[in-house]
Parts: sequence; structure tokens; C-alpha cells
Amino acid sequence: MLEPVNVTLESLNLMTLTPMLIPIIGALLILVIDLFKSDLHKSLYVMLSILFLFMDFAVLANTSGVVAQNGTLMGVFNVMHIDGLALLSQFIIVIASMLFIPLALTSNSFHEFSYPEFFALFLFMISGFQFMVATDNLILVFVGLETSSLALYTLIAMHNRDKSFEAAVKYFTMGALAAGFYSFGAMIFYALTGSVEINQIAAVLSANGYADIAYLLVGVVFMLAAFGFKLSLVPFHTWAPDVYEGASAPMAGFMSIVPKIAAFVVAMRIFEFLVHSGIVWLEVILYIFVVVTMTAANIWALVQNDVKRMLAYSSISHAGFVMAAILIGTTQANSALFLYWVLFTFTNLGSFSMLWISRQKHIPIYQASDHSYNKFAGLIKTAPVAATIMALFMLSLAGIPPFALFWGKFYMIASAVTGGYTILALIMALNSAIAGYYYLKLIVYMFMKEPVQGADLYVFTNNASLSLRTIVGVAVMGTIFAFVAVNPLLEFITAFVYNSGY
Amino acid sequence: MEIGLNHYLVLSTILFAIGLVGVMRRKNLLMLFFATEILLNAVNIAFAAISHYYGDLTGQMFAFFVIAIAASEVAVGLGLLIVWHKRHNNIDLDQMSTMRG
Repeated sequence: MLEPVNVTLESLNLMTLTPMLIPIIGALLILVIDLFKSDLHKSLYVMLSILFLFMDFAVLANTSGVVAQNGTLMGVFNVMHIDGLALLSQFIIVIASMLFIPLALTSNSFHEFSYPEFFALFLFMISGFQFMVATDNLILVFVGLETSSLALYTLIAMHNRDKSFEAAVKYFTMGALAAGFYSFGAMIFYALTGSVEINQIAAVLSANGYADIAYLLVGVVFMLAAFGFKLSLVPFHTWAPDVYEGASAPMAGFMSIVPKIAAFVVAMRIFEFLVHSGIVWLEVILYIFVVVTMTAANIWALVQNDVKRMLAYSSISHAGFVMAAILIGTTQANSALFLYWVLFTFTNLGSFSMLWISRQKHIPIYQASDHSYNKFAGLIKTAPVAATIMALFMLSLAGIPPFALFWGKFYMIASAVTGGYTILALIMALNSAIAGYYYLKLIVYMFMKEPVQGADLYVFTNNASLSLRTIVGVAVMGTIFAFVAVNPLLEFITAFVYNSGY
Repeated sequence: MEIGLNHYLVLSTILFAIGLVGVMRRKNLLMLFFATEILLNAVNIAFAAISHYYGDLTGQMFAFFVIAIAASEVAVGLGLLIVWHKRHNNIDLDQMSTMRG
């Protein structure tokens, strides 16, 4: 006779689940509304999504107050694990999503936004990312990762062009491979320690003094490959440029920010204790990944003919740059990672929104692809405001002071120096210099070249609705006035990162 | 001979390697999906075996989640495959190369 299991509601601590449940409820509501009344305008769904994300944000802010007082919150049989890292990354995820979803309100109509399912999937994806960062259980990380990835493949395919299907299939194949690697890595950790919770794994491994180092390294390599796919680290980056080119500009911008911060947080949880364990091999492996990703992606970006592909390689290189924080592993470096990512969010939001504004229904003859450099030639003469704004984002990406990303790069390199990685800091600085070249190439095209004969003069106005302009405005403000916010932001981030013990 | 944990782990590793080679080499999209299924199910065998070895149910739980995820992955993958087949009348991975650079 089995004993009945008694679970009190208090022990579940459902408060830890609320932030993820809100977007799920929102998504279901959108589906139900569509069931009763179809053919509603997309602005309703956009507003509903923003509303639910805002509620999500409010609950997160409330939870962060509790966490700041009482420390890490555990709930639902200790599967949910809400600490400073989880909260910070969820803030970034929710805010970035709130800024990206209004890009659906374009002047031209696009196929995917006429389906309410688009917005439902978008909200399901957000909750997947939130689950991924708010746990240290490898099972829930896997479920969150796959929920969000599967939704993301579908969102990319919904753009309904040949290239976007190709992009979705390529991303899907790579994602399936990454899922296999992840589960194999998790299996090795489970075999070594008998647990799937990262805390437990760390405790057991340090108790037996990292005895099975060979097996551990195999597990680490598999995990690194899995997250390498998600973070687009070289050599697992092959999908990234194609997927960025095939996906619509808002989705591409979204992909360069939100999935990566979620993957960074999980990578931080898994690799941080291994880096601190003092095993030289792990450090060497990570070091090689970081340096190769930064440098190789920069060199590939130099030879691109399409601005969107260039931005894809640039975001691979930025991911490598930020991965250095996990290698360095100090509180200062981890705080710099979050600061960098907040500033990167605004800059990349702006540059991809500008590409989205200039989206054409049909590609003119003089352009080899959707966003080839030719399209931007002589933009200062035809659309001076657009050219100036685009140049601003490029300068920020290149890390020119006083624009946003300069501060991110500054703190990251400073943390490398104080962490004792002088050579790494040097490589990072050199890479920023190389990267400057291809961002300036676009600026040269816009400011120095003559416009192509017979170019479409209205390309920067015909897709620009009020909401797109607003988002670009927000991004411009964030990029220019970052220097005001950097210090309070860094203090806020450092407090949270320090509290959660990283 | 007694079949022990190591036998299961070796079996799982071999199956995983087969799946991995399949993902790398197969050009037919459907075959590639099969290969990813082999990849995930290879891990399931290992999880079940380790779970039995430790006398701990977590591994079997993980295996169930992997099964569920593999199923949903196939659902999405087949959806993409059907759309691609409708548009191009083939499911050959080599035909998917309109983007280069």
C-alpha cells in the first residue's frame, strides 16, 4: 500500500513560477481570442503581448525585491532556482522582447503578423527562455531550451520566403544536433555524480577531487558544443549568417540578443565552478574558443557584401568577446557580461530596426541581396536622418566613446586585466580595432559614395510606421545617453551577481 | 557473461556515434531527422541504465523528457519539411544553398 503523498502549497512556493506563467497565460488568451473572433488587426495582439510582458516585468521587479532581502528563492521541489543571475537575465529577456514585438506594426503588411499564432508562439518562447535561466536543474534547462528553440524555428519559417524556410531548416538541423550534444553531456555529468542539479554536481565533483578527469572533460566538451551552437561560437557558428539573412530583420535582431543571454547564464552556471576548480585543460579549451570566435568572426565579417550578414558575423564576434567573462570568472567579469549585454541590446535593436525599416518587397537590380552595401550608398544625400542614425549604431558597435558599447568593452577589458588575463585583454582590444574597419566600411558607403543611379529614394520611409520610428528613437536614446546610466546600472548588476555568488 | 552498466554505456556511445555520422553525412532531410532521433534515443538508453545503477529515478525522468522533446522536435521538423517539399518538390539538403558568402 502506497503512502499518500502530501505536498503543501507553501512548500511549492508558486511565486517562483509566476513570471513564466504570465506569458503562457497571455499566449493561451491570444489563441482563445482568435478562436472566437478571427481577422482582428495585428495591433491588438501586439498590445496584448506588450501588456503581458509588462505584467511579467512587474512580477519580476517584485520578486527581485524579495530576492534582495532573503537571498535565493527555491520552489517546486527545489527545481526552480531564482537568484540574482536568473532575475537579471529575465529582466533583459523581457525588456528586449517588449522592444522587439512592436516591430510587427509595419506600414507594409507581412504574412507572418496576420496570424495570431505568431504572437502566441512569441510568448511561449519567452517563457521557455525564462524557465531556462531560472533553474539549476539540467532537465528543466533542456525543456526550456527546446521550448524556446522550437518556437523560434517556427517564427523564422513564418516569414514565408524561400530563404526563411531554408534558414529555419538549417537552424533546426543544427538545433537538433545541439540538443543531442546537450543531452549526452548531461548524461555524462549524471553518470559521474548521480545528480542533474548543477549545485549537486559541483559539490560531488569537488568532494571526490575531480577524480575522473577524462570523462569530465568529455562531458565538458559536449556541453560546450551544445552551448557553442546556441551562442554561435566558432566552429559551431556555421548556421548563424544564413539564418540571420533568411530570417526577418526583427527576428534576426532578437536572435542575436535574447537566446544568447539565456545560453550565457546557463553556461555561466555550468562552467564557472569548473573554471574555478583549477583544472588547466578546461581553461585552455575555453581560452581557445574565446580567442578563435572573436578573431575568426571578425575576419569573415570583413569580406561580407551584405550588411545583415556582416551584422551576423559581428554578433558572433561580440558573443566571443562576452564569453571571455565566463573564462575570467570573477564577479567583476560576470557583471561586465550583463552590462555589455544590456548596452548591446539597445545598439543591435537599433541597427536591425533600421534594416527592417528599409525592407523592400522586391529587390532592385543593382542590389545583390536584401541589404547589400549598394543600397546604403550615398544615403546621406537621399535620407540624411536615416544615414546619421545608422552611423550612430555602427560607431556604437565599433566601440567608439561615448556611445553605448564603448562602456561595455571598457569594463570587459578592465575585468580581464584585473583578473590577470593581460594577453586576453590585449587580444580583445586588437579585435575591437579590427572590427572598427567593417563598421566604418558601411559609414564610408553611406557618407562618401554617390547614390546608385535610379535608386529607390523612398526606401527608408515606406515601411516606417510610428511604432518603428519610436523603437528606433528608444534605441538612439539608449545608445547616446548610455554614459549617464552606466554607473548606476553597473552597481545594480554587481549587487545581484554578488548576491548569487558568481 | 553478466551484462553490466558499461555494456549499456558502450552501446549508447556507439548509437550516438552512428547518429552523429548520420547527421553529418546524410543529404536527405528525412534521413537526417532519423539520425537526430537515433542521437537522442542513444542517450535515453544510457540514462535508463545509469538510473538503474544508482537506484535513482532522476535519470528515467530525464529519459522521459528527452522522448517528449524528440517527439515535438519531429513535429516541427516534419512541418518544415512538408512546406519545403511543397515549394521545391525535393527534400535534398544540397539544394538548400541560395545563401552564400
